[in-house]
Amino acid sequence: MADEFEITDEMRAQIGVDSEPWTYEVTTTSVRMYARGIGTEDPIHYDVDFAKSQGFRSIVAPLGYLGTPVYLPGQNDPTFGFPRRAGGPRLNIPMKGLLDGGTETEYLDVICAGDVLVETSHLADLKLRDSARGKMLFITNESVYKNKETGQVVAKQRLTSIHY
Amino acid sequence: MAQVHFEDVKEGDEIPQLKKNCSTQQLVLWAAGSGDFYQIHYDKDFAQATGLKGLIVHGALKNAFLGQLLHDWIGEAGQVRRFGCSYRGMDEPNQDILCRGVVTKKYSEGGKHFVELDVWTEKPDGKKTSPGTALVTLPSKN
Repeated sequence: MADEFEITDEMRAQIGVDSEPWTYEVTTTSVRMYARGIGTEDPIHYDVDFAKSQGFRSIVAPLGYLGTPVYLPGQNDPTFGFPRRAGGPRLNIPMKGLLDGGTETEYLDVICAGDVLVETSHLADLKLRDSARGKMLFITNESVYKNKETGQVVAKQRLTSIHY
Repeated sequence: MAQVHFEDVKEGDEIPQLKKNCSTQQLVLWAAGSGDFYQIHYDKDFAQATGLKGLIVHGALKNAFLGQLLHDWIGEAGQVRRFGCSYRGMDEPNQDILCRGVVTKKYSEGGKHFVELDVWTEKPDGKKTSPGTALVTLPSKN
């Protein structure tokens, strides 16, 4: 199955096609939870009064955190939480193994608790490589995050997943 | 920590290191914070059934560690414009992960003062598991 897998023209045709938008929330609780996950103790991620005293709207999202996608049962992946929305790629991958391949984030503004972001994503790249584990499929998605209130792009992120 | 300025750094400088060591509890905290509940990070039997030796640290957590490395270095007046890494090696819980960065270029443009860096996570034997790059701005003394 996986050894016979090839990237088809139908799959490549999905590159660059934007998904429908999805809402990501940045809350005081979610920022603190993410900060605890990293293990940072900087009060700028925990203490609202301190963050405001430093000139921020509220506690600041740690680098790498671009909000949590709104979870609707049946519409989000139960393991990873990401939305299974219309317009996104449908690749029907036979590989069962999955690993993170890489993360790149570009920031155009600071993200703080209270921000509501609207994210759209598209498939950016597909690559198939041979490895000791058999064929490995590298899937790269690009997402753009806009502040819902201002419409400004606040971040762009490229995520690569490896399927084997 | 004192605010670092553009004039304080030069190409080849290493920024202060950040050492991490993830307990399995921290991996669960991270799962809750990130929303990534993939079982290879907390269910040893599941991880081994996928061909792994055991539990592994989330790649995106190592990316976030590099974010903290940069955040801690640039201080309140600095900004991270972009950063990222690829995941080339696996890290296990209860093992030191050293986060490091070296300045590769500095330049001023449009009134902003930019510093480029190579950043990475490193295992105790020195093997780089998450090599990447970053672009930050620092305040000037002038």
